[in-house]
Amino acid sequence: MFLVIGITLSLPSIGLLFLDNASQLSNKIKYEAEISVFLTKDISEDQIEFIESGLKKNSLIKNIHFEPKQDAWDKLQTKLKLSSLEGGISENPLPDAFFISLNTLDSDQIANLINDLKTIEGIKEIVIDGGWIKKLRSILYLIKVGVYTLGSLLIAVLIIVISNTIRLQTLTYQDEIEVSRLIGATNSFIRRPFTYTGIIYGFGGGLITLGILKVIVIIFNLITHRIEDFFGGLIVIQNFNLKESILLIFTAMLAGWLASFISAKQAIYRLEKNI
Amino acid sequence: MDVLQDINLEIDAGDLIFVTGSSGAGKSTLLKLISAVERPSSGTIVFENQNINFLNKNEMPYLRRKFGMIFQDHKLLYDRDCFDNVALPLQINELDPSDISRRVRAALNKVGLLNKEKLMPITLSGGEQQRLAIARAIVSRPSILIADEPIANLDKNYANEIMNIFYSFHQVGVTVIISSHEAPSTTIKHKEFNINQGKLNLEKNVPLLT
Repeated sequence: MFLVIGITLSLPSIGLLFLDNASQLSNKIKYEAEISVFLTKDISEDQIEFIESGLKKNSLIKNIHFEPKQDAWDKLQTKLKLSSLEGGISENPLPDAFFISLNTLDSDQIANLINDLKTIEGIKEIVIDGGWIKKLRSILYLIKVGVYTLGSLLIAVLIIVISNTIRLQTLTYQDEIEVSRLIGATNSFIRRPFTYTGIIYGFGGGLITLGILKVIVIIFNLITHRIEDFFGGLIVIQNFNLKESILLIFTAMLAGWLASFISAKQAIYRLEKNI
Repeated sequence: MDVLQDINLEIDAGDLIFVTGSSGAGKSTLLKLISAVERPSSGTIVFENQNINFLNKNEMPYLRRKFGMIFQDHKLLYDRDCFDNVALPLQINELDPSDISRRVRAALNKVGLLNKEKLMPITLSGGEQQRLAIARAIVSRPSILIADEPIANLDKNYANEIMNIFYSFHQVGVTVIISSHEAPSTTIKHKEFNINQGKLNLEKNVPLLT
């Protein structure tokens, strides 16, 4: 019984655990959001210097990389092997550009920054490169919804499994329930041993879930450790902390209580109909 | 079809009552109504000046605790020993374990089963099981004792023994209501209600014979 509860609960728990770690991972790399600032073509050296010094003062900006239009043009030509067409294009079509990495991922802050930058004379266009972070986040959000749905379904399964077990017990103790009722036991008195059993089931099952998670985390980290070169040591799954573990066990106990409460109530109801 | 019709009777505190009648006449139903195990489909039952029809479901258990019930089929629990069987009403009343064991032993002693407290009920004879059921009914010291056919399946010696236990409770002021096929012969003052096909057929006051 404990094992059934443990395994049932461990499925959504593993999902939550990975989700937790994935969002932590996305937090780790959040400083890599970048924006590209393209300048007008006829901009002067003085203006570029002025803009650069202005950018450097901004606290949101972590790093600035200036790329003159000639460098960009050279790069493009090597990349596309355009040299044969050089004659066809009379002048460099590319603008000077700043590539800026940001200290923040907050979309409001970024939008404000972009609005500020747009007012500076000589800046023509600003492109945000942090879009993939948003995509990652929305994928994580989708997975989260999925895990929660799965989790609630499995908790429903758990409640059904526990209530079935308790129902069998109420059948075994049918006589006792009946006699207790006849000599004046209140319904809550009759339910008590069953709800206690349900809560204990939940507690034991929760402990087993924590055990299963522990083993899975250890195995997973061993594997990632071996192929660490692949991930650059980025992926280390953290297990639930104490608060989350207690919450997990508490959830299991709550499910156990609810399940047994329902079963015991039904048993009493059955009896009332029969008397 | 109602099991009981036009029943109108009154029981005073301290009475010894026999409810008589043939099988299926409605004796058990009457006792279940008196002891609040069942509710009447119509009519009123007044207990200690309180109409128990007005009691809600949550109050019923507390009313039932005022009665010591001895059921026709004993309703002993065969998965626990004699001591635990008798202890059940006290556990329901949530008494201290030390109080429980003291009062359980007193009740077992009263019915002469003290030396068998560790035995399982299934190992007892029919008469002993009946006495065990009585011990369970009296352990919470109810002021009313209700017994449904307590001597139906017992031979005469056992039956007398059981009846004497009931008489001894009646003598100390307990209201005793006993249903049986026919009223046992006794010299003690008692009332007899005879039920026939769901109707109160006859009410008989038998004074103390001297």
